[in-house]
Amino acid sequence: MSENKEILKEITTKEYEHGFVTDVEQEFIPKGLNEDIIRLISMKKEEPQWLLDFRLDAFRKWQKMKMPSWAHLNIPEIDFQDIIYFAAPKKDSERPTEVDPELEATFEKLGIPLHERKALAGVAVDAVFDSVSVKTTFRETLSEKGIIFCPFSEAVKEYPDLVRKYLASVVPVGDNFYAALNSAVFSDGSFCYIPKGVRCPMELSSYFRINAKGTGQFERTLIVADEDSYVSYLEGCTAPMRDENQLHAAVVEIVVEKGADVKYSTVQNWYPGDTEGRGGIFNFVTKRGLCKGEGSHLSWTQVETGSAITWKYPSTVLKGDNSSSEFYSVAVTNNMQQADTGTKMIHLGRNTRSRIISKGISAGRSQNSYRGLVRIVSKADNSRNYSQCDSLLIGDRCGAHTFPYIENSNSSSVVEHEATTSKISEEQLFYCNQRGIGPEDAVGLIVNGYAREVLDKLPMEFAVEARKLLQVSLEGSVG
Amino acid sequence: MSENKIIVGAGEVFGKVMVFSGKAACSDGLDIVLDAGARADVTLIVLPGASVSSRFSIELAGADADCRLSGIYLCPDGEKVDIRVDMKHLVPQCTSCQTFKGVVSGFSSVNFYGKITVEPGSQKTEAYQANHSLLLSDTAKVHTEPQLEIYADDVKCSHGATVGKLNEDEQFYMRTRGISLEDAKVLQMISFVAPVLDGIADEAQRMKLHEEIENAIRNGFGK
Repeated sequence: MSENKEILKEITTKEYEHGFVTDVEQEFIPKGLNEDIIRLISMKKEEPQWLLDFRLDAFRKWQKMKMPSWAHLNIPEIDFQDIIYFAAPKKDSERPTEVDPELEATFEKLGIPLHERKALAGVAVDAVFDSVSVKTTFRETLSEKGIIFCPFSEAVKEYPDLVRKYLASVVPVGDNFYAALNSAVFSDGSFCYIPKGVRCPMELSSYFRINAKGTGQFERTLIVADEDSYVSYLEGCTAPMRDENQLHAAVVEIVVEKGADVKYSTVQNWYPGDTEGRGGIFNFVTKRGLCKGEGSHLSWTQVETGSAITWKYPSTVLKGDNSSSEFYSVAVTNNMQQADTGTKMIHLGRNTRSRIISKGISAGRSQNSYRGLVRIVSKADNSRNYSQCDSLLIGDRCGAHTFPYIENSNSSSVVEHEATTSKISEEQLFYCNQRGIGPEDAVGLIVNGYAREVLDKLPMEFAVEARKLLQVSLEGSVG
Repeated sequence: MSENKIIVGAGEVFGKVMVFSGKAACSDGLDIVLDAGARADVTLIVLPGASVSSRFSIELAGADADCRLSGIYLCPDGEKVDIRVDMKHLVPQCTSCQTFKGVVSGFSSVNFYGKITVEPGSQKTEAYQANHSLLLSDTAKVHTEPQLEIYADDVKCSHGATVGKLNEDEQFYMRTRGISLEDAKVLQMISFVAPVLDGIADEAQRMKLHEEIENAIRNGFGK
């Protein structure tokens, strides 16, 4: 036991690896939220009138909404007037087109090289620092195939028709409290368009970094996969260690046209707060995909290890006949973290298929909930859903919860749900210990095995990182 | 709504079968507290025609308490059935098992909400729940919300829920052996709900209910 305690002590004092702050000159707008602030954000981004109107409309809707309280979360009061809604690193006036070396070094440190020659072969990156996109790599290579991959604010200027056509077509402005807030104040994010019949030759990825103190990040991502196209999209995120809570309220919209295939993967590693639950990111995001055309396919994979509080339900609306969707999730909570995450599968079309695999792991004093909706409407003939939600408890002070909602109105469709809750068996631990594998490593090994079904779905570059992350997140939880 | 609060003393056994039939809509509930080593066996049966709203609140308050809660609902026309279960494991070493099965057709709607809560420190809990429905028409609806809230780690808990249709392979098998499609369906439905009745200890009562349910299925869904 004493050895365990030693490990515990060592680990709990270990710092969050990405918790550093980059010292760059930044420009901020004043704290608070009102129509003038929104006009200011819009002006700073040199946006057209229609987008400003869109923002103001969203803001007016948001003002009438209340913070949702149905989740199994204990969210402290958030003062929305105490947040800076826009922060950007200042451009060097002498080298206006180049990336600030300081920022480059930051992303380098995070393992996200902004130089194409150095980059991992086959991954194009859009790096977002606070409220602006710093650099998007491989744009020329992609544009040869007609693929658009650029910061959202640039897309507004260069492809206004496309943006206007698809913006808020999946997540309406007034969809929920945080989506409305995001629609009003969103800063940068990525825009991605894959033309008809094109198979994207490399992984596209966005990397989000919160740096500035007292700010929130409100990114907006829009992915459109035209007929018979394919794209694999990755998303990663980190933030510095701070005692205050910072808000991250993103909206991701995905449109999948006839026969197209989109794979969306997330490795979420926002700062989770310290062992006593001080600080950390509030991750309240709305992610939704629309399988619009016949035979379209959307696959979500998420590894959630960070954030003080996670409120996230990547969902799919299966509108096209024969469309299908999957949701693979591993959510790890430790110390005082709280997570309420899951998915929604709305079956509207005929012969639609969905599959949900969710693996929750709770340790320390954390609370981890799965919440998922499967709805089959009466016209969705021969639809099929299978959900499996497993929870693993490590320690006796944490909680694991499962809240599925199953609604079937079609007699030819079948919905199945099963959930189990268990702990790491003493036998397995003993077996490992006996063979010279320490308790920490043994837990890591068992957890990785438990989450394997999901980790295997991640693209290679992410899978390695995710495995490591899982190990780190659970360190200090045994004893 | 009639509220019945029942306290089952240490080592005692409580059994109840609640049968609802007839056209009237009614609501009922049971509030049970189980002391150490106590056992409760409750079966709910909703026959065609009955629209029922039923609430069960069960507290396992003493070690080694055991609760078995099951139900059958047969809704061929326009019935509305609403079942709510709150199963609370307050102390260690208790077991609970829930099985709810039903057949839903016509314009009926069934809502099932079943929550298992394992309070902090309630180690060695075993709690299971299953809710399976057969949905036979596109105008009927089944909403099911099986919920698990667990605050202890040394537990075995699971829930399962399905909403589906009758297996066509089984029907084919029976038809090749000279059983008509209507009869095959009736047999399938009977065998689907029958396991729920196994928990009734009194044999005479069980046989009687079995017969009633068989007739109800034949008359309600066998057409």
